[in-house]
Amino acid sequence: MHIDWFVLFCQIFNFLLLMYLLKRFLYGRIIKAMDDREAKIAARFAEAEELKIKANESAELYDKRNQLLTEKSEQMLNEATVAAEAKRKELMEKVREDVDQIKERWQDMLTREQEAFFHDLRQRASRQIYATARRALTDLADGNLEERIVNVFIRRIRELDKVESEEIRKAISSGGNRVVVQSAFGVSEEMRKQIEDALKKQITNDFTIRYMMEPEIVSGIELRVNGHKIAWSLNDYLDTLVENLTETLQREAQAVS
Amino acid sequence: MEIVALHQISPDQVILWSRGFITLNVTILYTWIVMLILVGGSWLITRNLSSDINVSRWQHLLEVVISIIRGEISEMTKRDADSYIPLIGTLFLFICVSNVLVIVPGFVAPTSSITTTAALATCVFIAVPFYGVSRNGIIHYVKEYFQPTFIFFPFHVMGEISRTLALTVRLFGNIMSHEKVIGILLAVTPLLFPVIMQILGLLIGVIQAYIFAILSMVYIASALSAEDDFQEEVKKEGSSA
Repeated sequence: MHIDWFVLFCQIFNFLLLMYLLKRFLYGRIIKAMDDREAKIAARFAEAEELKIKANESAELYDKRNQLLTEKSEQMLNEATVAAEAKRKELMEKVREDVDQIKERWQDMLTREQEAFFHDLRQRASRQIYATARRALTDLADGNLEERIVNVFIRRIRELDKVESEEIRKAISSGGNRVVVQSAFGVSEEMRKQIEDALKKQITNDFTIRYMMEPEIVSGIELRVNGHKIAWSLNDYLDTLVENLTETLQREAQAVS
Repeated sequence: MEIVALHQISPDQVILWSRGFITLNVTILYTWIVMLILVGGSWLITRNLSSDINVSRWQHLLEVVISIIRGEISEMTKRDADSYIPLIGTLFLFICVSNVLVIVPGFVAPTSSITTTAALATCVFIAVPFYGVSRNGIIHYVKEYFQPTFIFFPFHVMGEISRTLALTVRLFGNIMSHEKVIGILLAVTPLLFPVIMQILGLLIGVIQAYIFAILSMVYIASALSAEDDFQEEVKKEGSSA
């Protein structure tokens, strides 16, 4: 067995040629395709990673926004609650004020009605008492009520002390020496004279007197002179009556409520 | 009809045409056939390559083969395999296809000729210093022959030559002897048994291709590892200084 050198070199050449051709047509292309695919896959992975990072960032951003919105909504809710509470208080206050005003008006009205009632009562009572007293006095003591009243009035003038007398005298002189006597009934001449005598004796001679009928002065007589007054009437008794009546009514109202 | 007679030990002896020292024998013819198959097949498959995810099954096949070769080389050299793929890949593909095509009636494996195996081994013999020198530089490569002392130089040279011879004879012996065994078996037991031997022959053919390629890579890697040792030494010296 021998080696043909030509064939050997020929085979070496053939092998080198095959190497070149395979490198050209096989390895280069296949390796390039594989590398390209790897690069593509790597690029896809990188892209996926990038997208993932972006997605995470977006998720974080949305989480933050969500949190902010929640905080804001809570804050708004709190503010709204506070505002609603303030409004409620304001409205309550207003309602309370309205109620107070209504109550006050009602009380005023009640008071006025009460006053009107008592005024009316006073008038009626005074007339009734006056009539009754007059008849009783006529029947029992054979006396005149007006006369008695004037007598009591004259006694009051006489019972004035010095200081009071002096004050009234000054008042008469400063008021132009005019004296007004008002009464619920007509005063007879005799009585007028007695009154004038008493005044002259107790206070002063220098005055002019005038008599006036005044039904408002319930069963009484009064002397008015520049801010001073000497009087007698049923008013005191009527006041006591009204007071007692009011007290009784209030007690009844409390018992009912 | 047998192209290579049983008494002819090599297809080199079947000369088809000759003039002077130029000879065209069966070995060269079948080498060209194998080359044509390899290059033609590669060209056909790789002309429409796709770098997308959807690829043809032939492309898949080639990619698997190339990936395996790449993996093996990378594992051995611990560096980028692409520089060695043309040599190692071509060795493997050429020997493998030659050996496997034996199963086709009338085909004569070029690797059953000692001239072919010698040519392949010579290529490896040249490639080892080529890669070693191109990576290391000639001085460091030659220095390796005098390690640990200059006395070892002849032994290194003898080692280089003997392993080339071993490559040559191993492949030639395996393939040639297998063909002869098949021929003898056909004469002795013409039924069934030669078929089993043919199947075994395919296995042996692929294994021999693998062994040849791997050994070539080991030889090249051993020349390259000297470079690594040298670089490590330089680093150590640099750090100690």
